[in-house]
Amino acid sequence: MLKATLRSFLAHKGRLALSALAVILSVAFVAGSLIFSDTVTRTFDRLFASTSADVTVAPKDDLDESVPTGRTPTLPAEVAKRVAKVDGVAATHVDASVENITVVDRDNDPVGSTTGAPTIALNWYKSDRSPVELTSGRTPSGPGEALIDADTADKKDVEIGDTLSVLAAPGSFKVRIVGIATFTTTNPGAALVFLDTPTAQTKLLGDKDAATSIAVDAAPGVSDVDLKRHVAAELGTAYDLKTAEEEAESAASELGGFLDVIKYVMLGFAGVAVLVGIFLIVNTFSMLIAQRTRELGLLRALGADRKQVRRSVLIEAVLLGVVGSTLGLAAGIGLAAGLIELMGLFGMNLKSTEMVIGWPTPFASYVVGVGVTFVAAYLPARRAAQVSPMAALADAEIAGVGRPLRMRALVGSVVAVAGAAALVGCATSSDTATAASLLGLGVVLSLIATVVAGPLLVRPVIRVLGGAFPALFGSVGRMSQRNALRNPRRTGATAAALMVGLALVGGLSVASASMTKSFDDQIDKTLGADFVVQNNAFMPFPPEVTKKVTDTDGAGLVVRSRFTPMKLRMPDGRTAETTAAGFGKQLDEVVKTTYAQGNSAQALAPGRLAMDRDYAKDHDVRVGSVLPVEFPGERKAELTVAALTDNDGAAGPGMEGGLFMGLGTLEKYVPDGQDSAVYVNASPGTDTEALRDRLDTALDPYPQVQVRDQADYKKLIREQIAVMLYLVYALLGLAIVIAVLGVVNTLALSVVERTREIGLLRAIGLARRQLRRMIRLESVVIAVFGAVLGLALGLVWGVSMQQVLELQGLKAFAVPWSTLVAVVIGSVVVGIVAALLPALRASRMNVLEAIAHE
Amino acid sequence: MSTPASTPNTEHAEPPGVAARARGLTKAYGSGETAVIALDSVDVDIARQRFTAVMGPSGSGKSTLMHTLAGLDSVSAGQVWLGGTEITGLKDRELTRLRRDRVGFMFQSFNLIPTLNARENITLPMDIAGQRPDAEWLEHVIDTLGLRDRLSHRPAQLSGGQQQRVACARALASRPELIFADEPTGNLDSRAGLEVLGFLREAVDTLGQTVVMVTHDPGAAAHSDLVLFLADGRIVDEMPRPTAEGVLERMKRFDVLHGVASNAADGVAPDPADGVAPDAGDGPGASGAPPGPAPTLTKPAPDDPSPQD
Repeated sequence: MLKATLRSFLAHKGRLALSALAVILSVAFVAGSLIFSDTVTRTFDRLFASTSADVTVAPKDDLDESVPTGRTPTLPAEVAKRVAKVDGVAATHVDASVENITVVDRDNDPVGSTTGAPTIALNWYKSDRSPVELTSGRTPSGPGEALIDADTADKKDVEIGDTLSVLAAPGSFKVRIVGIATFTTTNPGAALVFLDTPTAQTKLLGDKDAATSIAVDAAPGVSDVDLKRHVAAELGTAYDLKTAEEEAESAASELGGFLDVIKYVMLGFAGVAVLVGIFLIVNTFSMLIAQRTRELGLLRALGADRKQVRRSVLIEAVLLGVVGSTLGLAAGIGLAAGLIELMGLFGMNLKSTEMVIGWPTPFASYVVGVGVTFVAAYLPARRAAQVSPMAALADAEIAGVGRPLRMRALVGSVVAVAGAAALVGCATSSDTATAASLLGLGVVLSLIATVVAGPLLVRPVIRVLGGAFPALFGSVGRMSQRNALRNPRRTGATAAALMVGLALVGGLSVASASMTKSFDDQIDKTLGADFVVQNNAFMPFPPEVTKKVTDTDGAGLVVRSRFTPMKLRMPDGRTAETTAAGFGKQLDEVVKTTYAQGNSAQALAPGRLAMDRDYAKDHDVRVGSVLPVEFPGERKAELTVAALTDNDGAAGPGMEGGLFMGLGTLEKYVPDGQDSAVYVNASPGTDTEALRDRLDTALDPYPQVQVRDQADYKKLIREQIAVMLYLVYALLGLAIVIAVLGVVNTLALSVVERTREIGLLRAIGLARRQLRRMIRLESVVIAVFGAVLGLALGLVWGVSMQQVLELQGLKAFAVPWSTLVAVVIGSVVVGIVAALLPALRASRMNVLEAIAHE
Repeated sequence: MSTPASTPNTEHAEPPGVAARARGLTKAYGSGETAVIALDSVDVDIARQRFTAVMGPSGSGKSTLMHTLAGLDSVSAGQVWLGGTEITGLKDRELTRLRRDRVGFMFQSFNLIPTLNARENITLPMDIAGQRPDAEWLEHVIDTLGLRDRLSHRPAQLSGGQQQRVACARALASRPELIFADEPTGNLDSRAGLEVLGFLREAVDTLGQTVVMVTHDPGAAAHSDLVLFLADGRIVDEMPRPTAEGVLERMKRFDVLHGVASNAADGVAPDPADGVAPDAGDGPGASGAPPGPAPTLTKPAPDDPSPQD
C-alpha cells in the first residue's frame, strides 16, 4: 500500500507541483520572517549588551510619548560625582546625548538619514563600551569640533576639515569635522555626531551642568545587580536605575516596535499565502481523487479498506508537505538574506553571514507546511475513502456534477447570518474595542460563509458574467461559460483563492479611501491658516525655526502648537493616558474649531483644558470638572475643563479625546518641549505666494521642516495613508500569484479530464486558436467571478471598518471605484495569464490520441 | 419521413464520382526496427453518394485508413485527395478548416459535447465556422432522425441511441462531402444500432450523402453498398452488396489465417474457394503493391434487395 502511495505521488508530481509552490511560498514567508527577526534581535541584543554601562542612571520618565514632544529629559551632571563615591563604583561618565537632531552640510542638505533612522549628537569619551572607535583624525575638543561616524561620512561625502551645522534645540551651531569613527559593532542605521562633553552639555542640552544619563562602571568583582543596589541606596528613588541587562532589554524593546512591524507584515504575507494555498491544495487533491476514482475503486476491490485508502491520500499530502516545507525553508533563508540586504539600504548594516536559524524556524516551517497540506487534504481523503469498489468497474466518465450542495447551502447561510449579525453589531457598537472585535469576528465568519457558499453562487453569477459570451464569441463562448458552470464546487474553490485576496484589498482600500476623505474633509473644515510649517514625520523642531518664521517679512499671525503626553484621572475613576495639544492664543484664526460648549478663549485660558464632547461624556467629564493630571517628568497639576468640542479635529486627527489647552499652560508644565507645528497667516496686504517664497527661503537652512498650504497638507496626509496602501497592494500581489497558480492548476487538470472532448472538438473542426480562446474565456470568467465575489465581500468589510473608524472621528465614507474597476480589469488579465499554459497544452494535444477510445 | 422527391438530393445530381481518393497511402508508426506499418501503400477510391464499409480484424489498419482519409492523421508516404483537394501536405490550420467544412464525423463513443444541448451540438461545426446553418436542410435532417422533441436536451439526458442520432445529425447538418463513422454502433444495443445504421443508409439514399464506416460487426457492414476488407495494412478484398453472412464468412477466413500463420506479412487471404471476392494476393481488384485502379463501386441496381430489414 505504501509503495502504491509513493508511486502515485511520483506519478502525479507534475500536478502536485503547483500545490507544492503554494506550500513553498507560505513556508518561505514564515521561515523568512522568523530568521530575519531572530537575526536582527540577536545582532541588537549583542550591540546593546556590549554598549550598555554596568548601571545607567537616567531621569525618571513614566509617560510614553506616542507623539514626539521634542523634549530631552536631563538630570544634574553632579549626580555623577555623588555616584562616583559609592562603594563598588570604579568610574562614572556623564552622557549628553540627543536624538532626532538635524545636522546639515554646507548646502543645507541633511547629513543624517532621511528614511526615519535617527541622527544622534552625543559627547565623546573613551570607553571600551563605545560602539565606535576613532579610525582617522583626532578626538574633538572645544566648542567647534566634532567627530562623525564613518558610514555617514561615506554616504554623504563628509571629510575631515568639512564644516557642518548642528540644529539643536538651544540654537544651531557650526562644527568642523576633526575625526572619523568607525562602528566596531553593527551599525543600527543611526548617524552619529560626537562632541566633547562640555560642548554637548551646553550646545545640545543648553545647560553646562546637565546630563541625559550617567554611566556607572563597576569595580572588579562587583556584580551589576549589587552595584545598582549600592547606587540606589545613595540616590534614593529620584532616578531611574538600570543594570546593563535591563538597559539592553529596554533599548531592544524600543527598537522592537519597528522590528515587530516588519515581522507582522511578513507573517501577514505568510497568512495570506497559507490561506490561499489551502484552497489550492484542497482543489488539487479533490481533482486528483476525482480522476483516480477507478484506481481507488480497484484498490478497494482488491481488498484495501477505507482507512487504508484515506491513509494513502494523507500520506501523499504529508509527502507534499515535507517536500514543500523543505524547499520553503530554503526559500525562507533566501528571503531573510534579501531582507537583510534591504535593511542595508536603510543604513542598518546586518551581516547575512551572521544569520540566526534557531530550532523554532524549521519546526514552525514543517508545522505550517505539513499541517496545511494535511488539513487541506483531509476532506478529499475522506471522500476518496468513500469510493466504492464498484467504481473500478463503472465506465469512468468523470462525474462532473458532484454531490448536491444542500449541506453547503445550509452551513453557508447559517455562518453568513452569524457573520452578518457580527458586522451589524460592529456597525452599531459605540465602543471602539467591542466594534473592532466584532469586526474581526464578522470578517472571519463572512469569509467562511462565502467560501462555503461560493459554489452555490457559481451558477447565478457566472450565468450573468458569461451571459454575453455566446453572443460575443459564438459557440466557443457558450462552451467556455458552460465549462465554468460544469463543476460549481471546483469553480468555486478556484475562485475562492482569488476572492480571499481581493476581499482583503477591497476592504482595506475602502477603509483607506474613507480615511483619506475624512482627513481631507477635516483639513478643509478646520485648517484656516495660509500655511503650516511642519516636519514630514511630525517631529518637533527647535525654536529657532519658529523665530525665523515669525521674522519673515509678510508673516502676520503666527500660532505655535506643541504636543505632550499626559495622564488624567477621570471623574469616572478611570485613568487615561493620552496626548494633548497646546495652541497659541489666536487659534481661531488658523484652526476652525466647533464647540459644543465654551469657546477658544475659555479653552486656552491658563489652567484650562478642552476635550471632545463624546470623550467627555464617556468619562463623566463636564465643563467645570477639575481633573488631576500628570505631565512628563512627574509634574502634577489640576486643570479645569472649560470647553467641549464638537469635532475631534482640533488637536490633530486620530488623537484620543481631542484634548487641548493653551500653549502657556502646556509650557508651564512642560517647559522643555519643542514646537511641532507653526501656523502662519499672511499679514494684511501680503500676497500669499510671495510669503510662501520668502518662508521657503528663510527655512532653507532647516531641511527638517516644510512649508505647506492646505493642498500640500492634504497630500502629506494622503502619503501617510498611501504607505498602508502599498502594503495592501503587496499583499494583493502575493494573493494573486497564488490564485493564478490555482486557476492554472484547475484549468490544467480540466484540460486533462476533457481530453476526449477536446479531441472531438478538434476533429469536427475547432481550430487551435478557437480552442485556446475557449480555455482563456473559461479562465477569465472564473477569475472575474472570484474578483466580483471578493470585491463584494471587501465592500461589506470596508463599510464595517469605516463604522469602526467613525468611532475614532473619521466620519467620511468613500468607495475607491476606480481601484475596484481596476481590480476587475486586472482579474481579466489574471484569467488570461493563467490560461496561457493550459490553453497551449490543450491546443498542442494530438487529436487522434485525444479521441482514441480509452 | 420525407419523400425522396423533397430531398435536396437533386442538388447532388451530377454523376457520382469519387469523394475521396488515396494513392500509395502508407502509414508507419515509429521508425527503424520497431516501426509498425499500419497502412502499406493503399490505393482506394471512395465513391460519391455511396455507403462504404471498411472491415478487418483488429490491427488491420482500418481506423488508420479512416483517420488519414479524413485528415486527422498525417501520412508517411502517398497522397490523399478529398474531392479535388489534395490533403496530404496541408497545414494543421487548413486541415482543421477542411474537416470543419467538408467532413462529418461520428465516433464510437463520446460523440457529443456534454455542455451543449442537442441542437447546439448539431450546429456546432457551423457555429465554429461562424456560418448560419441552412435552416431548411437542418430541419429536414432533424426530422429525418426523429430528434424534434429532443433538441433542448443535454447529452446526459439522452439514451445512447439518441446520442448517436444527434451525432449523425451533426455529421449531416453541414452537408459535408464525406461522413466518416468510426464504429458508430459499437456502444449501442442491437436495436439502437440498427436504427443508426438505418439513418446512415437513409442519409445516402435519400439525402445523397457519402458515408465511410469503419466497423468490425458484419451485421453493420451488411448495411453498406460496398465492404472493403483490410488486413495487415492492405486492402485485400472488397464485397459489393454485402450480406451479413457473406461478410461473416469472409471475416472467418481472416481469423483462420491469423490463427494459422500469425506472421503472414503480406496479408494474403489464402482461400480462393470463396467466389464472392477475388483473391487478394493476385486478384485484379486487390490493392497490392503495384499501383493500379482502385476498387470502385458500381452503382447498385435500383431493384437490388436492400440488405437492411
